[in-house]
Amino acid sequence: MAERQRVSPQMRTAEILDFLRKTPGVFLTNNERDLSQSDYMCRIMPQTTLKVAPYRDATGYFAFEIFGGATMHMDLIKKQVNPFEKLRLVRKAMPNTLIQGLCRGKHLFGYRPYPDNVVEMTVRLFSKYVDVWRMYDCMNYIPNLVVAANAVKEAGRLLMPCICFSTGEGHTDDFYLGKVEEVLSLLGENIVLCIKNHSALGSPARIAELVGAIRKRFPSLLISYHGHNTDGNDLARLMAAVQEGVKIVEVADHGFGGSYSQTPALSAIQNLRDYGFKTPGLSIAPVLDASDILRRERRLYDEFTGSFHGFDPTVKRHKLPGGALRMAMEQAEKAGLLERAHELFNEVIQVGRELGNIWVVTPGSQLLWATAMSNVLNGRYEKPSDDLKRLLLGRYGPFPFYDPPEWIFKKVLESGRADGKGWDEILADEGGLQDLADEDFKARRLQLESKLKRLSTNEELCIYLQFPRDALEFMKFEERFGKTWLLPPEVWFHKGGFPDGTRISFADEAGKTHNIDLISTRKTADGVQTSLLVDYHFQTYKTQKGGD
Amino acid sequence: MFKKLLVANRGEIAIRIMRSAQELGIKTVAVYEETDKTSMHIMRADEAVCIGSGPRRDYLNIERIIQAAQRTGAEAIHPGYGFLAENPAFPKQCTEAGLVFVGPPPQVIIDMGSKVIARRVMSEAGIPSIPGTSVLPAGDEGKRLAAEFAEKHRFPIMVKAVAGGGGRGIRVAQNRSELERFIEVGRSEAKMAFGNGDVYLEKGLTNPRHIEVQILADRHGNVIHMGTRNCSIQRRHQKMIEIAPAFLPDYLTEKICRTAVQAARACNYLSAGTVEFLLDQEDNYYFLEVNTRIQVEHTVTEVITGIDIVREQLLVAAGSPLSVTQEDVSFRGAAIELRITAEDPKNNFMPNPGLIEIYQSPGGHGTRMDGAVYQGYEIPRYYDSMLCKLTVYGFTWKEAVDRLRRSLDSFLIAGVKTTIPYYKQIVTDADFINQDFDTSYIETHPRLLDYQEEVPPIGKLASLVAEINAYGYNPYS
Repeated sequence: MAERQRVSPQMRTAEILDFLRKTPGVFLTNNERDLSQSDYMCRIMPQTTLKVAPYRDATGYFAFEIFGGATMHMDLIKKQVNPFEKLRLVRKAMPNTLIQGLCRGKHLFGYRPYPDNVVEMTVRLFSKYVDVWRMYDCMNYIPNLVVAANAVKEAGRLLMPCICFSTGEGHTDDFYLGKVEEVLSLLGENIVLCIKNHSALGSPARIAELVGAIRKRFPSLLISYHGHNTDGNDLARLMAAVQEGVKIVEVADHGFGGSYSQTPALSAIQNLRDYGFKTPGLSIAPVLDASDILRRERRLYDEFTGSFHGFDPTVKRHKLPGGALRMAMEQAEKAGLLERAHELFNEVIQVGRELGNIWVVTPGSQLLWATAMSNVLNGRYEKPSDDLKRLLLGRYGPFPFYDPPEWIFKKVLESGRADGKGWDEILADEGGLQDLADEDFKARRLQLESKLKRLSTNEELCIYLQFPRDALEFMKFEERFGKTWLLPPEVWFHKGGFPDGTRISFADEAGKTHNIDLISTRKTADGVQTSLLVDYHFQTYKTQKGGD
Repeated sequence: MFKKLLVANRGEIAIRIMRSAQELGIKTVAVYEETDKTSMHIMRADEAVCIGSGPRRDYLNIERIIQAAQRTGAEAIHPGYGFLAENPAFPKQCTEAGLVFVGPPPQVIIDMGSKVIARRVMSEAGIPSIPGTSVLPAGDEGKRLAAEFAEKHRFPIMVKAVAGGGGRGIRVAQNRSELERFIEVGRSEAKMAFGNGDVYLEKGLTNPRHIEVQILADRHGNVIHMGTRNCSIQRRHQKMIEIAPAFLPDYLTEKICRTAVQAARACNYLSAGTVEFLLDQEDNYYFLEVNTRIQVEHTVTEVITGIDIVREQLLVAAGSPLSVTQEDVSFRGAAIELRITAEDPKNNFMPNPGLIEIYQSPGGHGTRMDGAVYQGYEIPRYYDSMLCKLTVYGFTWKEAVDRLRRSLDSFLIAGVKTTIPYYKQIVTDADFINQDFDTSYIETHPRLLDYQEEVPPIGKLASLVAEINAYGYNPYS
């Protein structure tokens, strides 16, 4: 029966795992979250996602990743969307597809660790919508995942712990097999293991070798492969992974990706079928339909594709993942360092090596790049950031392969210290992971409510605990302007004033059409007066300042 | 029939009256104060006369109104409700000026306007009144009489201004010290408010129902009733929701209506009026007062009888007999009328004048709108805060409630706070739906105030579009 070919959000975790084990073939996960983050600076708006949702839902993907990573913060500060609401809308629009999210373990969706009770509450609340929790730690330090992973299991959701993949000194099969062992012993066996190749590293042969080694040691383990096409070679790696027994691979829509995000779904499907792999439950027609729509949408996001285009095979050396690379180049441009890009990238490579050849993934990727920038601008390790100090203090976890040289410890840890303590003393006294005290939810709720001047929901408290300032700003925004995700992206990202006669037309959540017609714009001494026909009712709005 | 009618009122009732006049082919003249010059009744009239700078002065100025009628050649004046409607000097001077006054003659207004005279007239006609005193004499004698009355009838006791009405000038004393105090305060307040400081006492009924009967009388000796209304849902003695019929047992309806006709005859009534009763928990009814005017809530009666009360008023004023007999009057279904006002229920129903930014009124089968505002209208702060009356008809009570809920849901007013969200709470309240309410309803249902303020979401989005337009980019993206 056709329905048996797909997993469904109604299935329990055990049923999903059982289904994956028993069904021959390969499953695809569409990762819009990563596409948005890697190719569009996290700016893809809910209206675009919802527009193609029916087609993606009809495709028969294993899951649709739309949540986590940097998106939660960006939803709040750049898109003014409540992450819970976005998930609710996606859930409603894609009732047949599992929703997947990416979580940074105890760092959740941020850059610093959170207290255990915040981690637990967050996972519990988001599990209402998130069926699959892909989870990683930037140091591959598995104990950092335990609290969040337990919360996922408690919520009855599917856990997909990642081992972050990289190359060079220390990154051997033996090392990774040890990590898988650790994952299984600390997080349990009812999981899908994800190989997270965020930097598009390794040749297809290297990936085949790694997958083969894992499969040999853990034959019944379900494995998914998350890769990036930064170098243009991810399809080959994906195929190599599948040939060695990977069950789930991550892909993107060809009409929207094609840069540093995932391999195009259609290319993957064609290759898989040509090589004789089954793709159970998967239909090609909706993949084409989705991309036809997305091709028209992508021009709305042009300004976020940045000036750095095209595949970058040098990623093998600098290892910066797609989204980080784009941000890095923007920062370099702002700092006037674009001409010295070569120098910068050499510095990234050097810093990466010096700092233990760890994985260049959030928050490590930002840390490495910022350190390299600072080194080029201010002299090597002359102005170390707090995050670098935290890395050397072992706040993120122990260095897995080798420690950075002592002179770096000395320069970084002793920098800006008034107490004259030596680096080894600092390390001995202050080093290691920190035990964070649980948050006092009652007190924080009171704090939030006194700022909002109204009662708050648990979901609001949850986002407030993670991003206090930005969440509060967002809530005030929402109170003032309402559900602005209803506005089309071309309005949200509009540049310049609207010409008289412009019609903005959109549907509300119930599908009803609304029209806002621009009648006139009048600039006065103290601001701008915009007259609109709002659903055929004349309204004039005064904006105090602004306009040219 | 006269050719031209001046309507000495404003707002919804002025428009309501003009509609019936226009249907009879009568030209209409509006009057207005300078402070009310954007009022909709002016636009609805064939002619309009500014009678002064206002506010709330010239609408009470009999001479200016009569002058306006003379200048425009109006032959008759309809007073509406409020303002001069129950001032006996108005019909008197109209008559003296050769103008037809659409309403009862001055003596009826005088008699029924005095609560004491009204009670006497009714008791002479054998109509039960709530036990009460005549005008309380000043000083110790008054105190003594009050004490005796309290002894005999027990508390609560109402202290009422002789010249009061429409819920004004009433205080309820629960004990002796309150009684003494309220008599004093009531006197000075009545003096200030009505120019007559006389007060009297009445036995207070516990949570009575407010039932009234619409009557019509002509110069040819015909007096008919148009059935009952239940006006129990009141806030501080001001009616909020009115219902027709009152859904009383048949025998009681018949008795009360017969009594009302008897009362109208007893006071030589003419034109349209209302006889009000209080009904206690044991279905005993007591005469309360006669309202010698068209009432706000007349629409519910029109809806269930199909008879245009204002049209009948105009016919009677022109000397014609009523166009319907008692036998013609039949009742079908249920009607509910709400007074939608620009008030903030959450802020103690404080008037909330301002600009009406969006106005979308409901419509469809069984929904009647008697409005006086429009989009872009700036509600002046000088007049009452009524925006419109919403009257719904249903073949059954349930259908009327359903229709009311639907109508309120499709009502959109932005710019000022209104009582709509409060009414929305009421129409979903089980006690209201089950017709389980009396005059204590509003007080005993405080959670009706527990609603979210309505701001049309599209308006919020539009304000963001305006910001993007003003800045030339989205400052929040």
